[in-house]
Amino acid sequence: MRIPKIILPILVLIFVAGGYFLQSTFFFPTTETVFGAVGDSEVEFTVDGVRCRGTASFFESLFQKTPGIESITTYAANGRAIFKYNSAEITPDRIKSIFEKEIRMRDGSFRRVFKEIDRTER
Amino acid sequence: MTKPLRYLIQLYFLGSIIYLALGFGSNKFEAFCPFGGVEALYGLFTTGNFTCALAPLNLSIFLAVLVLTILSKRTFCGWVCPLGTISEWIGRFGDKVWPKRPRFPKSADKYLRLIRYPVLAVILYYTYTIGDLVFRAYDPFYIPFSGLGHETMGMTSVAVMVVFVVGAFFQPMFFCRYFCPLAAVLDPFSKVGLIAIKRNTETCTDCALCNQKCHFGIEPMALNRVSHRDCVNCLECVEVCPVEGCLELKVL
Repeated sequence: MRIPKIILPILVLIFVAGGYFLQSTFFFPTTETVFGAVGDSEVEFTVDGVRCRGTASFFESLFQKTPGIESITTYAANGRAIFKYNSAEITPDRIKSIFEKEIRMRDGSFRRVFKEIDRTER
Repeated sequence: MTKPLRYLIQLYFLGSIIYLALGFGSNKFEAFCPFGGVEALYGLFTTGNFTCALAPLNLSIFLAVLVLTILSKRTFCGWVCPLGTISEWIGRFGDKVWPKRPRFPKSADKYLRLIRYPVLAVILYYTYTIGDLVFRAYDPFYIPFSGLGHETMGMTSVAVMVVFVVGAFFQPMFFCRYFCPLAAVLDPFSKVGLIAIKRNTETCTDCALCNQKCHFGIEPMALNRVSHRDCVNCLECVEVCPVEGCLELKVL
């Protein structure tokens, strides 16, 4: 059966757009770490510096000794980090101050690796 | 009519990737690479998480491209992929300035196209076992759009780009023909390709204009149906054919 040529660009645009809108179906995290605390609140940060699995793991490691965190879930695709926390023990501002603190580099210098871009509290 | 439309669509997608690479938009440019979806599969099945910087968009675009390929062969490569676009334009430039430039002989070209399968195997093996995008430094999509960014390797990455450009100048679609791992993944699906170009053997004058026009070195004149796995349905052969209705898009 003969097909008009215009069908190709239409198919291309439909499928690329379809692929784009289908992405929410596969929203799996880059890393997930569960700590000891029992959380009653949630805060979602968009963090400059969380760009891959390595940086996301490093980001989470900053909170290993921090009380009041139940879990951290990161999405490197858009730099999101979701904290479940106990509001009696820790606040979003304290969380921010932990990941924004300057970190000692291999050459001995200190540098801020992560920076808050946006925040949503729930 | 489809020729300017295809250029416009190519330009739109290339422009979009440049826009994202410059830091605008909510997604990273890497997230639009469908091959990332292939690289993400192992991590998703084993840990439930994405490998390195891979994103849901990589996977959803890959699945969309897969279905598109089953329907209409590697249309994605010829209409959307920025690497295909750049390769094609460099090849065109080569045709303009040095039409008789040396190219690989056909006999060698046939076997060189098989290189992409070991390339795919090596990339997937190391990506899956190491759990990281270890070939970013050699990726002609990542190197220029990241601006020689994170995890590239200086002169080695520059050398990859030089080979990409010089290769595309001498041998049209050099990277796509021989090294593209996504092409290797799509090949079996492209063979299915329900919508393909068919030649009317009764009206064909054997002028060979279609053969000369094909960037991938496919020879439509020798085929009844252009079922070659590398056909990207760019329709250049259809546009150049002087006989109305001799080369046409048909289902099955």
